[in-house]
Amino acid sequence: MTETRTGAPVAPQHLRMLWMLAPAFVLLLLFFILPYVSIATMSLREASTRAVHGEGWTVSHYTTALTDAYILTVIGRTVLMGGLVTLLALLLGYPVAYHLAMSRSRWTSLLYVCVLSPLLVGLVVRTFAWMIILSNNGVVNQTLRSLGLIDFPLQLMNTPAGVVIALTHVFLPFVVLPLLGNLQAINPEVSMAARSLGASRLRTFLKVTLPLSLPGLQAGAILVFVLSISAYVTPALLGGVRGRTMSVLIVQYLVDTFRWPAGAALATIMAAVALIAVTLFLLLTARAMRRLP
Amino acid sequence: MTSLALDRLNKHFGTQHILRDVSIAMAQGEFVSLLGPSGCGKTTTLRCIAGFEQPSSGRILFGDRDVTAALPEKRDIGMVFQSYALFPHMTVAENLDFGLVARKVPPDERRRRREAVLGMVRLQGFEGRYPRELSGGQQQRVALARALVIEPSVLLLDEPLANLDATLRDEMRFFIRELQQRVGITAIYVTHDQAEAMVMSDRIVVMRAGAIAQVGTPRMIYERPASLDVAAFIGRSNTLEARVEAVAGGGGLYVVRAGPSALRAAGPVGLAPGSAVRLLLRPEAVRVDPPDAAPAGGGNHILARIAASVYQGAAIQLVLETPEGARLIADVNGRRAVAPGQTVALGFAPADAWLLPA
Repeated sequence: MTETRTGAPVAPQHLRMLWMLAPAFVLLLLFFILPYVSIATMSLREASTRAVHGEGWTVSHYTTALTDAYILTVIGRTVLMGGLVTLLALLLGYPVAYHLAMSRSRWTSLLYVCVLSPLLVGLVVRTFAWMIILSNNGVVNQTLRSLGLIDFPLQLMNTPAGVVIALTHVFLPFVVLPLLGNLQAINPEVSMAARSLGASRLRTFLKVTLPLSLPGLQAGAILVFVLSISAYVTPALLGGVRGRTMSVLIVQYLVDTFRWPAGAALATIMAAVALIAVTLFLLLTARAMRRLP
Repeated sequence: MTSLALDRLNKHFGTQHILRDVSIAMAQGEFVSLLGPSGCGKTTTLRCIAGFEQPSSGRILFGDRDVTAALPEKRDIGMVFQSYALFPHMTVAENLDFGLVARKVPPDERRRRREAVLGMVRLQGFEGRYPRELSGGQQQRVALARALVIEPSVLLLDEPLANLDATLRDEMRFFIRELQQRVGITAIYVTHDQAEAMVMSDRIVVMRAGAIAQVGTPRMIYERPASLDVAAFIGRSNTLEARVEAVAGGGGLYVVRAGPSALRAAGPVGLAPGSAVRLLLRPEAVRVDPPDAAPAGGGNHILARIAASVYQGAAIQLVLETPEGARLIADVNGRRAVAPGQTVALGFAPADAWLLPA
């Protein structure tokens, strides 16, 4: 006996499931795309003293910003700090993720909590805690001084260094979690096979485990980079003038001096810079990624 | 290519005793299967040989070389895994080259050996493919090629056929065996599939609860099992309670009494008259005769009633009940109809019955 389907032709599975994207798409449209469109539009309007923006259209906010040495310095600093935070988080997070993925100890759940702990404390509270730790009379400097390692306090507050330290701390989970999922999904027999073929632990890691964990590495790196360059509270409270980032500068434009169109232009530039940086990163890793299933 | 010896391996894990005095001596070029249910210690034994587990005590020798403390990468082993464990980010050629590069084999020599081994596993022309572009059977053969291309001292196979479908599995059994004989490499094969162990091995090591239950050729293991556990694990078997009446000449032949019938059966030397034994009878060793027929040439007869008959094509499986209530299974020729309810005589030769102390 054969069974045949009757009735109207059915759309392919992937098309019928398209409606599942709808709620997320609506959310994205309302709270992401529309605000961006409005920011981008505003960045092209003339400045005005009477309203948020004036009547005419102009690209002068862009040309001014992109020829201003100070703004370019802040953009460079923001990207550099973001890159540094990403690198540090990867270097610190990879061993943790590796350990968590390989360990069969019952203490691993405790380590999970430790990894997630930066996210369990409110942003502002955490940042003030870092102020206590990093200030000239703070925990770090007092310890170093009592050990006789330094004569004068290290300037950690109001510098990029403090911001990088604090951001690395809070964004560590964003590296560890994707990496952990990735490492756990790698068949442990694959590295055993490498060992059996004569590769040392190090060679096995470099030739097998590391390339196979590239997707997790990539996801973690992008997350941390994007979050770092758009972070506001941490650089605002810890960065001072020398550690000022684009998001702090943009808020100054918008809130302190009410230069909305110019601030909107800076925000758009920053979004473009982030997009370019992420695209470059993806292109750089594409060759290695293509080999992966 | 070398001989291999395990000398009283013991492995403790916490309070658990996972391996108990496991000793195996393998000749060069021998194919030995470690057979047993899951948790019997066969995989742990293999991992000790590979170096991924460290035995708590005992020695592992490759030829004269004591490798007990050596790292896996220093042991010169070829290993094939249940999951194949191919490097997913490398082509077939790169997978094969991995071990050769680690051994600093020059490129032209690498290519020569790669081509030779791909010929052996019938995968010429697949060098540029990624593992994900291959079928399960092809991946399996790449895994085999990768283990053999480095010309290791011993070949270790950890349930390599468990993930293949039945037809392919049958084919690969002979393929692996034939390849192993052609290369002449000493091989250890871990499996829980007794049919696989039977057709492939020179010798089978039956393991149970961390200890070796029996070592022997497939025929010995099947026909002369050392214990009821081994008998129960290898194939199907009938057991009848019996008592030794007399020793019938040398060479381990006995007369036993099972219910009303006096039977002649083979058994290990040294069973004392009067001792309780189990008589082991394989279903295919049983012949169904008319109830009034005389047993052929020194054979045995047991009367039994056919309780059920299951047609299986090549054979009919009969479930029989003796008057004493024992249930027996017999496989008889499928072409001959046998009706349930009938009483028949079950005939078997003394050499086909095996006695084990109860």
